[in-house]
Amino acid sequence: MTEAQTVPAIDVENLSIRYGNVTAVESVTFAVPAGQQLTLLGPSGCGKTSTLRAVAGLETPTSGIIRVGGRPIYDGKRGTNIPAEQRGMSMVFQSYAIWPHMTVFENVAYGLRVRKESGAPLKEKVHHALEMVKMERYAERNASALSGGQQQRVALARAIAFSPSVLLFDEPLSNLDAKLRAEMRIELRELQRRLGVTSLYVTHDLEEALAMSDQIVVMRAGNVEQCGTPSEIYNYPRTAFVADFVGSANLITGDVVESDAAAGTVVIRTPDGMVIHGTTRGRPVGATGTLSVRTVHLTLGSEQPASDVNVWSVTVLRSVFLGDISQVHVRWSDQDLIVREIARPSVTPGQTAYLHASPSQCTLLEA
Amino acid sequence: MASTGDAGALDTAEQDRARTRGRIRVFEAVAMVTIVAVVAGLVLYPIYFLLQAAFDVGLPDTRPPTAYGVQNFAKLFDYPQVIWNTLVVTFSSTLMALVFGFVTAWILTRTNVPFKRTLDQLMTVPYYVTPLLGALAWSFLGAPESGLINQYWRWLGGSEAIVDITSPMGIAWVMALFEGSVAYVMISAVMQSMDPALEEASQVMGAGRWRTMWRVTLPLVAPGVLGAAIFVFAEMLGSFSVALVLGTPARFYVITTAIYHFVSQYPPRIPLAAAMGVSLFVVMFAMLWLYRRLTSRTSYVTVSGKAFRPRVMDMGRLRWVLFGIVAFYVFLSAILPITTLVFTSVQKLAVAFPAASNFTLDNFRQAFAINAVRTAMLNSVVLGMVTATLGVAITGLLAWIILRSRLPGRGVLEYLAMFPQAVPRLVFAFGMMWAWIVFPIPLYGTFWVLLIAYLTVFMPLGVRTISGVVLQLDKSLDECGQVCGASWAYRLRTITAPLLRPGLLAAWLLIFVASVRELGASILLMGPDSKVMTPAIVEAWFSSSSELTAAMALIQTVVITVAILIFSLFPQRLAVHGASAQ
Repeated sequence: MTEAQTVPAIDVENLSIRYGNVTAVESVTFAVPAGQQLTLLGPSGCGKTSTLRAVAGLETPTSGIIRVGGRPIYDGKRGTNIPAEQRGMSMVFQSYAIWPHMTVFENVAYGLRVRKESGAPLKEKVHHALEMVKMERYAERNASALSGGQQQRVALARAIAFSPSVLLFDEPLSNLDAKLRAEMRIELRELQRRLGVTSLYVTHDLEEALAMSDQIVVMRAGNVEQCGTPSEIYNYPRTAFVADFVGSANLITGDVVESDAAAGTVVIRTPDGMVIHGTTRGRPVGATGTLSVRTVHLTLGSEQPASDVNVWSVTVLRSVFLGDISQVHVRWSDQDLIVREIARPSVTPGQTAYLHASPSQCTLLEA
Repeated sequence: MASTGDAGALDTAEQDRARTRGRIRVFEAVAMVTIVAVVAGLVLYPIYFLLQAAFDVGLPDTRPPTAYGVQNFAKLFDYPQVIWNTLVVTFSSTLMALVFGFVTAWILTRTNVPFKRTLDQLMTVPYYVTPLLGALAWSFLGAPESGLINQYWRWLGGSEAIVDITSPMGIAWVMALFEGSVAYVMISAVMQSMDPALEEASQVMGAGRWRTMWRVTLPLVAPGVLGAAIFVFAEMLGSFSVALVLGTPARFYVITTAIYHFVSQYPPRIPLAAAMGVSLFVVMFAMLWLYRRLTSRTSYVTVSGKAFRPRVMDMGRLRWVLFGIVAFYVFLSAILPITTLVFTSVQKLAVAFPAASNFTLDNFRQAFAINAVRTAMLNSVVLGMVTATLGVAITGLLAWIILRSRLPGRGVLEYLAMFPQAVPRLVFAFGMMWAWIVFPIPLYGTFWVLLIAYLTVFMPLGVRTISGVVLQLDKSLDECGQVCGASWAYRLRTITAPLLRPGLLAAWLLIFVASVRELGASILLMGPDSKVMTPAIVEAWFSSSSELTAAMALIQTVVITVAILIFSLFPQRLAVHGASAQ
């Protein structure tokens, strides 16, 4: 922000968190590069919030190491566990945690007052933080007299006011309505870029994760399913869970009839004889395999496309109008596939049509 | 955050921190064990002596007992009249209290009765008037000879007495009148927490108003009402003051007054009284256990934690009749008793048709002039303030440990802290008396015993009140301060304490009021040099004039009202904020 400071990276190594017999997080490893935003994405109960709270120091892990800027703040083996208040981080809570007995100004000033700031510099910094979230006019308002969206902004201003080196977000947008959420998503991302602060973000919302992150870690039942950039995660899911959780995908399983490690191609034949060409992304190829095809990567038309592979004749079962998109269900050999089209569907139920998928968009999943 | 630094120095710093954390763990464990031990001592030490006395069949007046047995319990059957009286009074008063509570709750939550909010507030007034004052006032009203109602009745040409408040039904009536307010609060909470959509669904399916009520509404509120019934029954079983004031003069005893009688007569019959106390305590404990089970599990559909706006029936002209019913209840249980006390206290000799010369303020003058009375009043107020202040500190700490810490043993702590609720205060005080007489430090008959007794018997009240506020506070309010870098003490000062303040003030007031009007424990534990107010009122009633008693009762009421008024001046704003923080 104003003064130059080294922005630290966060390293989490083999982090495990157990509550009695229940394992919430099991040997999770990831790294947030300095100044970047990493999102932990997953369904509720997958351990993402526990992981975030362990980084914040609000939860004591069972084992593992957490480092910020190379310095361990938690180390299970050596018994290091720096209390949350000494970690110098900042956090935006799901419930906002706006203190109802203080004004907006006092809420935002809290972290600065803890750091013994006062007088003009304090006022200046609070004002600056409120300005960033466009709430400077509300400074003297009582915090409990704010709408949900305004509370969200105050929580954000409070989190950034004392120039923390690390920002943590625990599903900060989940209590806002859809329109406001879409707006805040962009603002939050802009702010994070502008401040260049290392951020760890937790959400179960796919769009939020895709729109806001440099890196995404998909979690499931306490384990990491896949790490990567948003486009990697979306385009090349590693497992059936990721394919299904991140957007919607059709999964096709069959015997591997051909594969070329150098070209990274694979051909699969389903039990009823349908043949699909796909891409391996360098993943090991076994005797059988499952390909994932995003519903938006399938094209449907009445006329035969000019491709010699991955063209099938299918029967249109029904089409559902969803506003921005239309969802068409087609009968493809033994199984139904789902196709999402942006325009109004060009086919009518009952007709026969041609279905096509580019081999590069049919991704082989890891077994 | 400094990311550079000598690696070796960092290591020692971290080892230091690890050692500090280890020390904190040990400190926590020691603190927890101490707290559990203190609470267990307060609660269980008297119970132990109560049990010891109940099973003592050895030589009389020898402690510790020379032999143990169950013969004391067998002796209970020598007093079938006491058991019969207790059952008659408890069942009839429970039934009446539930009718009062149910009818008023239904009217105020489900109909469009006028002045709803005012009536709802007035419904809690009987609780503050207290059964003791009610019993005194109703005795002035309904005593067979001198009762005002009977005097008017004879003036109108009637003969004998139209009401006899000293009869079992009279006693049950007064008890029910003041417990009705408690039943109202419990039952209206049940009715309020019901989702109106459940009834609307029934109507949409074609069921009429009565069918809906019979098939949907009643089954849904039934568990809650049953819970209230059990709770009220347990309270009535342990109630003491009404039967003491109205029953004792005519030698009509229920179990609590019988225990008091056996303890205070000469020579006292300690083992028999203890056996009675233990039996009463076992039954009440079973009742409250049943109540907890019922309310924690079966309120399945109705309680979803959401506050609904219940559907309101349009009663047309009938709503004024319903208004009359609720207003009449408030009149009988609050306005009439207080008016009667005032009317009695300002006469030289209370009569139904006083001459102008009969009016006087002498009784109040006398109340302040008699040394014993003045000291008792002062003692009560001081003791109330000390109890409330210490009580809030202790129960606040207990509530925080039970709800917010992860310390092992906090479940046990909760049970211990809520335990006194299941023991009638008189029985508890009996155990304490018996325990403190043999305690090496001579505390019996001093303020200290009263203070310890109050702190113990009001522990559930404080824990429950403060827990309510702690539960409303979102945990992340404190965590956010922590992440912002604030230390434990700084957060306590800037976040936790200000947010808890309304709850702590409410708990202070409740404990203060309860202490000032405490009777059951005080009557057994106070000594000649540690008189307190409520037992002094009872004493005056038995040995001095009714007019002086009425004056003393009014003075006590004024003290409590002033305390409530002072507290109502505190900004309520904070309470609202605390709730909205969720």
